[in-house]
Amino acid sequence: MADKIKSPADLLAMAGKAKEDLDLRGGPKEIKVTVHMGTCGIAAGARDVVVAFLSEIADAKLSNVTIHQSGCAGLCEMEPMATVSFADGSVYHYGLLENRDKVHAIVQSHLVGGKPATEYLIAS
Amino acid sequence: MEKISNQVLICTGGGCIASGALEVSAAFSKELADMGIAQNTQVIETGCLGPCAVGPVVLIYPDGVFYQNVHIEDVHEICEEHLLKGRVVTRLVSHAPGTDRSVAEMEDVEFFNRQVKIVLRNSGIIDPLKIEEYVAREGYQALAKVLTEMKPEEVVSEVLRSGLRGRGGAGFPTGLKWKFARQTESDVKYILCNADDGDPGAFMDRSVLEGDPHSLIEGMAIGAYAIGAKQGFVYLRAEYPLAVERLQYAIDQARDLGLLGTDIMGTGFEFDLEIRMGSGAFVCGEETALMRSIEGGRGEPRPRPPFPAVKGLWDKPSVLNNVETFANIAPIILKGAEWYASTGTEKSKGTKVFALGGAIQHAGLVEVPIGVQLGEIVYEIGGGVPNGKELKAVQLGGPSGGCIPKTDLNVPVDYETLQELGAIMGSGGCIVMDDDSCMVDVARYFLDFIQDESCGKCPPCRVGTKRMLEIVTRICNGEGREGDIEALEELGTIIKDTALCGLGQTAANPVLSTIRHFRHEYEAHIKDHYCEAGVCSTMFTSKCTNACPANVNVPGFVSLIGEKRFDEALTLHRERNPLASICGRVCFHPCESKCVRGGLDEPVAIRSLKRFMTEQETEVRLPQVKVNTENAAKKIAVVGSGPAGLSCAYFLARLGYKPTVFEKEPSSGGMLVQAIPAYRLPREELGREISMIESMGVTIKHGMTLGKDFTLQGLKDEGYEAVFLGVGAPAGVGMGIPGERGAGVTEALTFLRDYNVHGTAAVGTEVAVVGGGNSAIDAARTALRLGAEHVNILYRRQREQMPAWAEEILAADEEGITVLPLTAPKQILRDKDGKVLGVLCQKMALGDYDRSGRRAPVAGRNPDFTVACDQVIAAVGQSLDAKALIGDLPVEMNRAWFKVDRATGATSVEWIFAGGDAATGPASVVEAVGAGERAAVAIDQYLTGANHAFWRRDVAVDVWFDPDADPVTTARAAVVCLDPEARACTFDEVELSWNLDTACAEAKRCLRCDYGKIPVAAARGVGAEVQEEVK
Amino acid sequence: MTDDVGKTGCSGCEEASEEELLARLDEVIEKYKEKPGALIPVLQMAQGIFGYLPEVALKKVAKGLGKPYSEVAGVVGFYSFFSTVPRGRNLIRVCLGTACYVRGGMQVLEALKKQLGIDVGETTEDREFSLEVARCFGACGLAPVITINDVVHHRVKPARINEVLAQYAPEAVGAGGRSE
Repeated sequence: MADKIKSPADLLAMAGKAKEDLDLRGGPKEIKVTVHMGTCGIAAGARDVVVAFLSEIADAKLSNVTIHQSGCAGLCEMEPMATVSFADGSVYHYGLLENRDKVHAIVQSHLVGGKPATEYLIAS
Repeated sequence: MEKISNQVLICTGGGCIASGALEVSAAFSKELADMGIAQNTQVIETGCLGPCAVGPVVLIYPDGVFYQNVHIEDVHEICEEHLLKGRVVTRLVSHAPGTDRSVAEMEDVEFFNRQVKIVLRNSGIIDPLKIEEYVAREGYQALAKVLTEMKPEEVVSEVLRSGLRGRGGAGFPTGLKWKFARQTESDVKYILCNADDGDPGAFMDRSVLEGDPHSLIEGMAIGAYAIGAKQGFVYLRAEYPLAVERLQYAIDQARDLGLLGTDIMGTGFEFDLEIRMGSGAFVCGEETALMRSIEGGRGEPRPRPPFPAVKGLWDKPSVLNNVETFANIAPIILKGAEWYASTGTEKSKGTKVFALGGAIQHAGLVEVPIGVQLGEIVYEIGGGVPNGKELKAVQLGGPSGGCIPKTDLNVPVDYETLQELGAIMGSGGCIVMDDDSCMVDVARYFLDFIQDESCGKCPPCRVGTKRMLEIVTRICNGEGREGDIEALEELGTIIKDTALCGLGQTAANPVLSTIRHFRHEYEAHIKDHYCEAGVCSTMFTSKCTNACPANVNVPGFVSLIGEKRFDEALTLHRERNPLASICGRVCFHPCESKCVRGGLDEPVAIRSLKRFMTEQETEVRLPQVKVNTENAAKKIAVVGSGPAGLSCAYFLARLGYKPTVFEKEPSSGGMLVQAIPAYRLPREELGREISMIESMGVTIKHGMTLGKDFTLQGLKDEGYEAVFLGVGAPAGVGMGIPGERGAGVTEALTFLRDYNVHGTAAVGTEVAVVGGGNSAIDAARTALRLGAEHVNILYRRQREQMPAWAEEILAADEEGITVLPLTAPKQILRDKDGKVLGVLCQKMALGDYDRSGRRAPVAGRNPDFTVACDQVIAAVGQSLDAKALIGDLPVEMNRAWFKVDRATGATSVEWIFAGGDAATGPASVVEAVGAGERAAVAIDQYLTGANHAFWRRDVAVDVWFDPDADPVTTARAAVVCLDPEARACTFDEVELSWNLDTACAEAKRCLRCDYGKIPVAAARGVGAEVQEEVK
Repeated sequence: MTDDVGKTGCSGCEEASEEELLARLDEVIEKYKEKPGALIPVLQMAQGIFGYLPEVALKKVAKGLGKPYSEVAGVVGFYSFFSTVPRGRNLIRVCLGTACYVRGGMQVLEALKKQLGIDVGETTEDREFSLEVARCFGACGLAPVITINDVVHHRVKPARINEVLAQYAPEAVGAGGRSE
């Protein structure tokens, strides 16, 4: 855990540093995969999605991807969902990832090949 | 051929240009010019449309179809297929997995685009377990700001000026609550958060707690500073283990970092937070009860005043807000009250999160500016009702709220308007209900909930809701009595005025609002023992039979088909509906939309099975007829030989009467023969069932026009004791536009009748059909078969809103007919000799929601355009010239139709009965059959004083069935059709026969919802039942 | 203070003896007895320890917090979360929140009742399953839902209820349902 925040200036410093860490541009980790893990998502199998991404990314030997968890994206009926964000600010929402094949397709097509897996895309 | 003006929008944002959009644009211009449709199609290069990743993207209006990854090679196909023939090139439109929703149509993306996220600003974006991510998105900076730059009073006034109102239910101004607590002198005060999400169906709090817990902590800390509290409690329900876990984690993190505890950020401010878990009591959502529960007691409310701002938790001044309210605080402080107040309505500022659930395409959480139209939430954001069902109502506010019918979709969603409609904003539960929801049952559900959750302290709530529950339960069980509705209204009002707490005072809302908007459903339950939605199961044996307007024993005949007992199946069918073969072809099968199997995989193909069953009939078997010489001597007239008249005559004949049917046209069948084309209903099938009815002692006299060849009074004078009017709705309605009179413009029913009855109808080369109902489709497909080269259907609303049955529209599509939606004719253009040149049309846009629950078509901004044609067929409505039929007799009308008692078909003249389209307006064959049967029973009762409808008793079928077997998922057998190319030039029946194996396997998919129920129903005694059951 | 509360099943009651459980309850009481409003949290934790609230535990809580037994019993009776009868190894809770109700939660409940042969609030004879109803788990988008030992099962189909149950007690539901 970080140091205590003893003043508003400390808070700003922390925000600055956190932003830097989060900033995808220029860093080695250019792609961020966020798996939505609210109650809905987990009930629909979000945990398996995380595992699937981890192993698919390992299989693809990608080093520029980080996996994050987050809360509900709001569109429960499309759960489990994952959001893929790129350094250029583009964001893609994928839904109904209830099996490993779909995650495989997304990793191969989008993360490796740079072409969104439109079949499973909900919005971008 | 000249087409309407299309617009081709080509995205020329940076992304699409990079992927070749400019080349695609040039290709479009060239292709359109080559095809000779350039002057009517506009090519527009637009700015970025958004989905750059799938560029180049092309959007085609008016259809709103969104193509992606369009390359030069695809342009020809789009022009040829879509612009010329009106068929979407599905290859270039991607589909969401497991649905037929096209991902690329703009609407789907609207789920995200239409929202304004303040409360949910971080949900789904940050990692809730990493406080750094919250801090990186301006987290805790509002707290820093108030601690260093603002006095507590300034915080209160900022919140006050923002106009924020409590998001938990009643909408009390948050700033005011804080102000009262601030003003109360006390060394100890508390700030409390209600995270109990008590309203079943509202889960926005859970989402914030799980996805962005720090926004709650920060909001509460600011509140604590404003009112002068050092301790806060979050009251969180035990059903949310993940939310508890994440919030606790966040609190610990904040404490570790010094954002909770003493001397926060070096300012000397002290505040800490604790979670208290709810233990399953809805009443604890009430503020005084919640405080009592935190204190460790039974969560019973107490009277106010004193208000909690003066005497709250442990008798100390306390402020209670809910999660959503607190989540709004930090943005208000950082961006200012004016910024916040710029969203929303005059009296209700900001946004509201709704939990969309129930019968809705995109269930989920949505945050919208307060004041948006309800319809926008349901349709534009929620994607509408799935599975082709109809929207019935939207329930807002949970057990304290009410149901808003689809007629009010245009209302702005704000605190005041909802209250006027009998609902409340509540915590934001927004449950969409389709026609599978029974509103009486919904009221019962909420009463049951309230009764269960009433703390029992005050009698109005404890006893009053119990009484109401008893009454509503009785109604649901088919035992409702006259006066029950009024009793409910009276009890509800008393409870509202006298209960102790908010829960009690609003307990009657679900009942009062459903009575207000759906009184007819209550009445149908009480009077007709009929639950239209098919929910109140004590009143029927199976949902399909209940849905059938003729009450055909569906599981019975279907399961007999499964055992190849076709004769028995058909006999059982004709117990309630003589027109089995006809309905096997043209029925719109309401039974299938209620089929329970649909919840498992797909509904049983009941109509197709029925068709198969009648194909096995080698020799017509007459139904049971009770010979009765007394009845046979009585003269009864049936006017019109359509389905209503035929059905009425058939059931009268079964009771021993020998009715005479008077028909104006040379052939029998009414609309069946005049309007429905032979490719849907072969004439030999029609003839077979009409002959069957004739052979039962029914005489049909042709060429007899009521009002011309005979009169009702004349019939009476000749000794006819009763008359049934089944005259249909035979006349067309004009379009009311210039140029419609004269050659080249025909009314659809006349057109169809000319061909179907008289064998010839003039047809043009380019035909425009105006309208969106079944007659429009029938006319269009008939015109095509008679040699028209192109047929366009002009419809003023959207395609999905066409009243024609979906399978008919699809069949028209397949045959190459083009539907032009949002197209309203303004004028028929003619040359100087009066020859029709085309229809001048206005492109319509979608306006506000109208009383039909659909967006009203309003004049669009696009210029008018012309649909070239040499014939116009108008199918815009049907009517009945009643005056010419009834003369001076005092038969009351309901608008254009005969006013009848639904259960008997009785009109205001004792000896005259009516049914079918003539009493309801254009409806379906099977509804007419049902009405004919009811009228036959009522005529018999009128003549004999008793009910002799022996066919109405339920008979169990002796078909083997294992109720314990788990059903195995199997696909519904598909309808086999003639190839579209082959059929478009003939009147041969489009649908082809199934083979025996297909039919038997399909029949065995029936889940036998009737199993084990019929003996019980029959045990009521046939005689008694016949006497009482008049539905 | 949220450690044991979330667990609704009968975790640990197989192995530990009553003395051990009571000792754990003593620890809890000791930790919370000075806190204002401790009764409900302590009861929640007691239920987490025992799987339900036996009389002996309630008496201990009353004594430990210095409250009359009648008050403790009154609070236990008020909240539906508390149970004074032992539950089965697997606790099934059927959501009857509005969204689940509209999407067929009642039919799911009926199927469970029929399959298990018990009513709401009862436990099967073999102590495998207890059946309860609940008002909303907040998974409305996936209605109808049930939870079994806090695991959410979504879009449950009444005709397929056996397949869900079989994951918890294959023998108890016979063939365990057919699937393909």
